[in-house]
Amino acid sequence: MNDVVKPVMEGIFDLGPPPKLIGGHCPECDRKYFPKPTVCPMCQGPVEIAELSDEGSIYSFSVVRTRAPFGLPQSYAIGYVDLDADRLRIISLLDSERLDQLAIGVPVTLRVEVIGVGNDGLPCTRYFFTPKG
Amino acid sequence: MRKVDIIGVAITRFGKHVGTSFMDLGTAPVLEALKDAGIKPSELGAGFCSYALAGTLFGAVTAGQTIFWQAGINRIPIVNLENACTSGSSAVYLAWTGIASGLYDTAIVLGVEKMVVPNFGLLSGGNTELDILEGLVTPASFAMRAVRHMAQYGTTPAQLAQVAVKNRYHASLNPLAQFRDPITVDDVLNSPMIADPLTRLSCCPNADGAAAVILCAAGKARRYTSHPIRLAASVLQTGSYENPIDLVPWETDYRTCKAAYEQASVGPEDLDGAECHDAFTIAEILHCEAMGLCPTGEGGPFVESGATCLGGKIPVNPSGGLLSKGHPVGATGVAQIVEGVRHLRGEAGNRQIPGAKVFMAQCMGGDKDADGRTCTANILTR
Repeated sequence: MNDVVKPVMEGIFDLGPPPKLIGGHCPECDRKYFPKPTVCPMCQGPVEIAELSDEGSIYSFSVVRTRAPFGLPQSYAIGYVDLDADRLRIISLLDSERLDQLAIGVPVTLRVEVIGVGNDGLPCTRYFFTPKG
Repeated sequence: MRKVDIIGVAITRFGKHVGTSFMDLGTAPVLEALKDAGIKPSELGAGFCSYALAGTLFGAVTAGQTIFWQAGINRIPIVNLENACTSGSSAVYLAWTGIASGLYDTAIVLGVEKMVVPNFGLLSGGNTELDILEGLVTPASFAMRAVRHMAQYGTTPAQLAQVAVKNRYHASLNPLAQFRDPITVDDVLNSPMIADPLTRLSCCPNADGAAAVILCAAGKARRYTSHPIRLAASVLQTGSYENPIDLVPWETDYRTCKAAYEQASVGPEDLDGAECHDAFTIAEILHCEAMGLCPTGEGGPFVESGATCLGGKIPVNPSGGLLSKGHPVGATGVAQIVEGVRHLRGEAGNRQIPGAKVFMAQCMGGDKDADGRTCTANILTR
């Protein structure tokens, strides 16, 4: 029996430690993407696998108080996180244990834990960002 | 390109239609629009039917052919269309392109949705994409825009709430709207929180509903009706998906509205009224700015001033909007155009915008990479 918990989506992070988000990089356009696309949408050229920064800052966020989908915590927070080193703004779950510390501009770091369930209804690992310190 | 007129419109009550099937809900406004236009089913050149959820909820496949045949329409090209919240207005766009290009002279568009069903929950953008899997429910995507708007421009919760209060007042004048009892800013702010800062009364309710319009090449419209309304612009756009992209101002929204103004050779100062995609209070504020009704960032004080209320400078969502009518996804984009036609014909009853000559219907749908997947702007003139 295989009891390894699957990621919410294959290939988007390494568990580490420390955990890392896996995106794509187009060498031609020098652009990064998350998740990694099949080809670069800008030039349709090949995209390399690229580790992304595990630090960023909150661009915007909201605490979702209504019924949580995918077995996520009740309440949970979702946000856009700016990975400045990668020039990327990505969607991410935020730390539902620290809702009162969330604000625009707050520095955050990456974590991966078993949170909620995936499309198949089974527990899965999800990436999220938590306020630094 | 030929000019295109709207010669017939019809709309159902928005709300719960418990005893009516999805197919029958759609058939009623088709029959009524045919009568309104004075056109026979056999005189139609094409048909477009939009629904976004019936495939998932009822297993509907090519429902348009069934619905249109229930109204006697057959032997013509019929297309079923899903484009999220702009499904209906995208169908209007397709009908417009076919007539403007000369492919056919007449077309009917039906938007229909039946979504008041047990355990429907929240509208979501599908369950295979990463943002959805990470927990991006639709209210949260607009809540994040609200958070940015408040931080960048000082927009207040009371200003956001005023959108819902104003649209509920408009709905009190619209017998076909779902929720018609007046509400206050406090009612909106004190209703249960859905996604900070959006409360339940800041979010549009689900609804069943259907609406239909019949389009005709302008030179032939007077064969059928003495009061055609010109569809002077019909624009459909998609997001740029640039990264990073700003949540506010929303570039795709501005780009779409600008293209519609150019196509119709009018500007925001010419508008007498507008319907927009007020799925959430913040959305109407964003769309008012994108439509150029007020400067970027000033949508909060603008709604607070009463400018967008009936009797104000530029009434927005005189129908009551999605916030009070409800949002039967496939029907919404068609319903907005029906509302505009009613005002331009002078048939809008107690909510009539006096002497309305130019009207915009803006709609938007779907989230992708912090952008909108689809955005439409239609301009009506007489």
